[in-house]
Amino acid sequence: MKIKFMFCMLALFFIVACANKDINTSSKEDVLTKDWNEIAKTSKGTEVNLFMWGGDEGINQYIDEWAKPQLKEEYGITLKRQPMNTEEFMQKLLTEKKANKRNGTIDVIWINGANFKNAKQADLLFGSFSQKLPNFQKYIGTDNQIALFDQGTKIDGLEAPWGNVQYVFHYNSTHIDNPPSSLEELKKWIQDHPGKFTYPNVSDFTGNTFVKHLLVKGTGEKSALMAEEYNKEVIQSGEKYVWNYLKEIKPDLWREGETYPESLTKLDTLYSQGEVWMTMGFNEARAESLIENGTFPKSTKSFVLEDPGSISNTHYLSIPFNSPNPEGAMTVINFLESPEAQIAKMDPTLWGEGTVLNFNMLNKMDQKQIKKINRGDSVLSAELLSNNKLPDLDTGYTEWINNEWAKRILEQ
Amino acid sequence: MRFVFTRLGKRELVTSLMVVIFIAFFILPFVVVTLKSFSVGWRFPELLPQAYSLNGWQSIFRDPSLRESIVTTLMVGLYVVLLNLLLSLPAAKILSICSFKGKSIIEIALLSPILIPGMLLAMGLQFTMIRFGLADQILGVVLVHLIPTLPYAIRIMRAGYERLGTSLGEQASVLGAGPYLRFFTISLPLLLPSIRSLMLLTFVISLGQYALTAIIGGGNVMTLSLLYYPYFSSSNEAVIAGFSILFALLPLLFIGGVEIVLRLVIRAVNRV
Repeated sequence: MKIKFMFCMLALFFIVACANKDINTSSKEDVLTKDWNEIAKTSKGTEVNLFMWGGDEGINQYIDEWAKPQLKEEYGITLKRQPMNTEEFMQKLLTEKKANKRNGTIDVIWINGANFKNAKQADLLFGSFSQKLPNFQKYIGTDNQIALFDQGTKIDGLEAPWGNVQYVFHYNSTHIDNPPSSLEELKKWIQDHPGKFTYPNVSDFTGNTFVKHLLVKGTGEKSALMAEEYNKEVIQSGEKYVWNYLKEIKPDLWREGETYPESLTKLDTLYSQGEVWMTMGFNEARAESLIENGTFPKSTKSFVLEDPGSISNTHYLSIPFNSPNPEGAMTVINFLESPEAQIAKMDPTLWGEGTVLNFNMLNKMDQKQIKKINRGDSVLSAELLSNNKLPDLDTGYTEWINNEWAKRILEQ
Repeated sequence: MRFVFTRLGKRELVTSLMVVIFIAFFILPFVVVTLKSFSVGWRFPELLPQAYSLNGWQSIFRDPSLRESIVTTLMVGLYVVLLNLLLSLPAAKILSICSFKGKSIIEIALLSPILIPGMLLAMGLQFTMIRFGLADQILGVVLVHLIPTLPYAIRIMRAGYERLGTSLGEQASVLGAGPYLRFFTISLPLLLPSIRSLMLLTFVISLGQYALTAIIGGGNVMTLSLLYYPYFSSSNEAVIAGFSILFALLPLLFIGGVEIVLRLVIRAVNRV
C-alpha cells in the first residue's frame, strides 16, 4: 500500500512540476499606443522567439551568427530562432486561436502571400504595427507598393517587409551563348533545342510564377491592375496568349511535356545533371550558394526576360496575436529592417537576397556600401533587375492558373 | 533449417549469399551516406565524389540549437520508453493470461492509434493539450509520443508474456514467493529480450516523430527531427546526409546506455 501511495505522489509531483507557466502580457492596445522609445526600453533584456522555415544554412547563419549577436549587443535582446515550416506554425496559431490561448510562444513569424491572406482573415495577427517602426518610416515609407499589397492582399500595417527577390532564369553558359531576352525568343530557343527546357508543375510556386509571366505579357497594358486584386476581365484579355504559348512549346519540352518536374528542387536536379539547360526561380542570387556547394555547374549564369519583365516577390515579418513579447518583436523587426541588417543580408556568403529598402532614401554611405557588394558572377546587375521589375500578382491568379493549367495543358 | 542446408551441402553458399545481401542492404547505404556528407556536388554518373569538404558537417555543428536538441531528444525518448514499459507490462500481462468479456474490443482499442493517421489526432489533441496546459512542453510531447509507440509496446510485451507462460510463476507462488519477488526473479530476466526490443523500437519511433512534436511541442520542445526535417527541402545533400548519420547514431547511443543500466540492475537484483 505504502509503495503504491509513494508512487502516486511521485507521479503527481512529476505532473505538477511541468505545469503551465503563465506570463502576463500587456494588452494589445497598450503596446500600439506607446511611443517608440518606450517600446524599445521595455524590450531590453527580453527574449524573442522567431519562427521561420529552417532549411537553408545561409539564412540560418545570417540569423544565428550575424543578427543574434548584434541584437544582444545593441538592444540586449536574446533572439531565438525556431525552425518550423510555415504551414505548421499557421496550424498552431489557428488552434491556439480556437482554444483562446492568450499567451503564445511565438513573437515573430516569417510569412507572405497566401499564408498572410489566411492569417489576416482568421485574425491571427497582432495589429497594425509597421508604421511604428522608425526604420520602416525612414527607408521604406507607407506609400511604397510593397508596404501596401502582399500579392493582392491589403497589408494594413499587419506585416513589415523583410526581403525582396526577383524571378530569374539560370542557364549553363557552356551550352548557351546568348540567352533569350523575351518570351518570343525563349519560345524560339525551346523549339531549336527540343528536350532541353521545362518548367515545374504549376502546383509549385515557381512553376506557377512562370505562367504568370505569360499572363502579364498577354494582358499587356492592363497587367498593372493585377497586383491589386483578382479581376476576371483582365484574365479574359490575356488567357488566349497563355494557353497558345504553352501548347506551342509543349512538344519541345523535356519528355515532350508529358510530365513536368513536381517541384523546383526536381527541376534544379535535372539542371544540375545536365538533362535540361535552364532552370528558374525567385531570388536573383540563389545560384551563388548552389554553385559554391557544387550543386550547379560553375558556368551557371542568369538572365531575365526584358519582355515582359521579371516578377518580384516580397516576404514579410509579422507578429502573431498572442505574442508574449510584442515590444521585443517590434524592436527585432525594426532592427532587421535597418540598413546595416539589410546590407549584411545581401552578402552572398550568408543569405545573398535583395533589400526592401528604397535605395534613394538611404544615406550616401549606405548607398556606396550596397554598390560595393559583389553578389557573385551569376547575379545580374541591380540596374538591370530593377528596370525589369514587375510586382507580384494577386493570389487569385495563382489559383486560376492551378485550375486551368491541369485541364488545358497537362491533360491535353 | 540448418539441418536441411547442411544435407544439401549448400550451407556455405547460402551464408555467403546472406552476407552479401546484408552488406548490400545495410552497410553499403551507410557508406554512401557517410561519403555523401563529406562530398561536394556528387552527381549521378560519378562513382566517387570529385571533391571533398567538411562544409556539411560544419553547418550542422554550427547550429546553436544542436546540443539542446540532442539533449531534448534523448530526454523525450527516455521518458517515452519508461512510460511505455510502465504501461505496457501490466496491459500485456492481463491480455496474455486472462480471458474476459470484451477482450477483443479492448485489444482493438489499444491498437487503434496506429491505424488512424497521426496528423489527424495531433490537431484535435493540440486543442486538448492547450486546455490542460500541456502544449509547448516536454510532458505534452512525451504524452503524444505514446500514441504511435504504445500499441507496438503492448504487442511486443504480450508476445513475451505468452512465450513465458504461467507455469513458472505458479511454481514460485507455490513455493511462497510474493508478486515482487516473482516479477524480479522470473518475469524480468525472462522478458529481457522483449524489453530490449521494446526499448529500441519505441525510442526509434519517438525519435522520428516530426508532425506530432512540431504541433504539440510548438517549436519550444526542440528535438533533432525538428532541426533536421526542414533541410529536406534544401538542395545541399551533404547537410542532409550528415544529419542522417547523427540520426542513426542516437538510437545506438541510447541502446548502449540502456544495456549498461540493465546489466547493473540485473546484477543488483541477483545479489539480493
